[in-house]
Amino acid sequence: MTRKTILLLSVFIGLVLASLSLYTVSETEFALITQFGRPVRTVAQAGLHAKWFFQSALRFDKRLRIYNPAPSEFLTRDKKNLVIENYVAWRIEDPSRFVQSVGDVPSAEMRLHDIIWSGLSAAFGNEDLDSLVSTDRQKLQSTAILDAITASSDRAALQQYGLSIDDVRIKRLNLPEQNKQNVFARMRAERGRIAMQYRAEGEEQALAIRAGADRQKEEILSTAYKESETIRGKGDAEATRIYGDAYSKSPQFYKLTRTLESYKKILDDKTTIILSSDSDLLKILTKGQGAAK
Amino acid sequence: MSILISPPVPMAASVEPASPPQSRRFRQIVSYIFALWLISGVYIVQTDQQGLVTQWGRVVEPRVFPGIHYALPWPIDKVYKLKVRELRRRVVGGEIPDTVLGRPASSSEFFSGDQNLLNIRVVAQYSVSNPRDFLFAAQSPDQIVGLAVESELVRRVAHTRVDDILTTQKLAIQSDVLRSAQTVVDSYRTGALLASINIESVSPPPETAEAFRGVAGARSDAFRIVNEADGYANDLVPRARGQADQLLDQAHSYSSGKINRAQGDASHFNAVAAEYSKSPNVTSTRVYLEAMELVLPRLKKLIVDANSNLDLSMIGKQDNSAAPATGPGTEGAPQR
Repeated sequence: MTRKTILLLSVFIGLVLASLSLYTVSETEFALITQFGRPVRTVAQAGLHAKWFFQSALRFDKRLRIYNPAPSEFLTRDKKNLVIENYVAWRIEDPSRFVQSVGDVPSAEMRLHDIIWSGLSAAFGNEDLDSLVSTDRQKLQSTAILDAITASSDRAALQQYGLSIDDVRIKRLNLPEQNKQNVFARMRAERGRIAMQYRAEGEEQALAIRAGADRQKEEILSTAYKESETIRGKGDAEATRIYGDAYSKSPQFYKLTRTLESYKKILDDKTTIILSSDSDLLKILTKGQGAAK
Repeated sequence: MSILISPPVPMAASVEPASPPQSRRFRQIVSYIFALWLISGVYIVQTDQQGLVTQWGRVVEPRVFPGIHYALPWPIDKVYKLKVRELRRRVVGGEIPDTVLGRPASSSEFFSGDQNLLNIRVVAQYSVSNPRDFLFAAQSPDQIVGLAVESELVRRVAHTRVDDILTTQKLAIQSDVLRSAQTVVDSYRTGALLASINIESVSPPPETAEAFRGVAGARSDAFRIVNEADGYANDLVPRARGQADQLLDQAHSYSSGKINRAQGDASHFNAVAAEYSKSPNVTSTRVYLEAMELVLPRLKKLIVDANSNLDLSMIGKQDNSAAPATGPGTEGAPQR
């Protein structure tokens, strides 16, 4: 064996050993170092790491995962059926426990389902529908319920399976198909009621406006009548005063002229008048000039 | 490997200056390859991108800005490039069915606070705020953003009345969901930043659409009725005001007419009365006679003697004759 051959051979062996004892861990994974099957340690730090060549490295995705199964039906305390779709945000937290108790992701999801969904149906069964769906914000309990379930199931999952449950949330709230028709019927009835209310309120407002206008008109006209009659009265009074002032200076002459004026009006061509020959007018005619005295 | 198999050369000749041309050529090739390998670490980050470099899997450069850069070549360093500013779209409610994965179209039904069902479709837009988290913290950040928005929308809608969702609360819902969904996304450390939540469509279920339209119709009917009443009032009141003005004007003109006429009459009377007072007898006689001249020609007249009896039967017979007769009676006015 030449020196060169020895050199090359040792380089080759060195490479083989290095490839057996050096390994990389990416940012997305954990490495679990096992020695003849027995977990020795967990490496969470990404980068280049070393191990003994007789140890092996198992990699686990440590990223956040979403478990989003089909919706399930729950019964609330007030016996209402609800179809709720939940999702769970979870991660592998302790690879050593995970590999020993669960092994792979599908069975991890089954365990999660068992832990969480039993908690959910218990929790929803303890609440009225109001605490999930209500116009009164104070009544809503969904966040508190889910937070409690997240906390308790997280503890259990970590202890038993090495999983971390970051969040349990409601993705969708709905009703079972068979209940929907009832809701639609109720919605239609409600709409009908609201439509009627709109119409009635419109009528009410319109009537009020019309009545107000009528009243205003009556007020305006009667006030105007009052004022105009007052004005007319004042005019008449003033005229009367003027006449009175004038005529009272010579009542005799007034009586004469006014009476004669009346004759002009009272006596027309349909009137027959019988005059005595003795009258002042005819005296001169019948008795001669002497009667003029 | 050829060098291993090649026949051993004498020890004296094995040192560099005397290396055979074959070996030198090999070294040349190796050094070229090595140089090429080193050069392959040069990379360019485009204007709309940000880069991230990992070394043996560990992040060493969390943010590399646009430009030309160098990283150690494969397999040591690895370069990721992300379009960080690009707005990514995520539809919530009524997604198109995924035929490849055989997933059915997700329902767009939401349950409102007053227990009505509504179809809502929301589009969320987000960008990458932290490339490191976006790449490594979650398996599917895109799905997580969608779920966060959806769950917050469900929660928000669950305490809002259906009418508010359909009308006034739309904008409030959008901004509330934007804020709370961002909190959720942040709690998952997904490195995504929500840019907008937009309610694309919100409608009652088809089974109740007719009834909802009925409400809209009723509302416009009510508006119409009220408008008509307003029209009536707007017509009536000004008209009444006009009539009132007219009444007052008439009253004023009546009153001033009366007064003027009275003043005229009075001054007429005063003037004549002043003359009368100078010679009352003559004036009264004159006035009397003038009046008689005016009055008597129109009349049917019977003149009777002051002392004779009057036979009234003749009045009926002689209708239009003015018979000269004698008789008493000053004046009388039997008709016809």
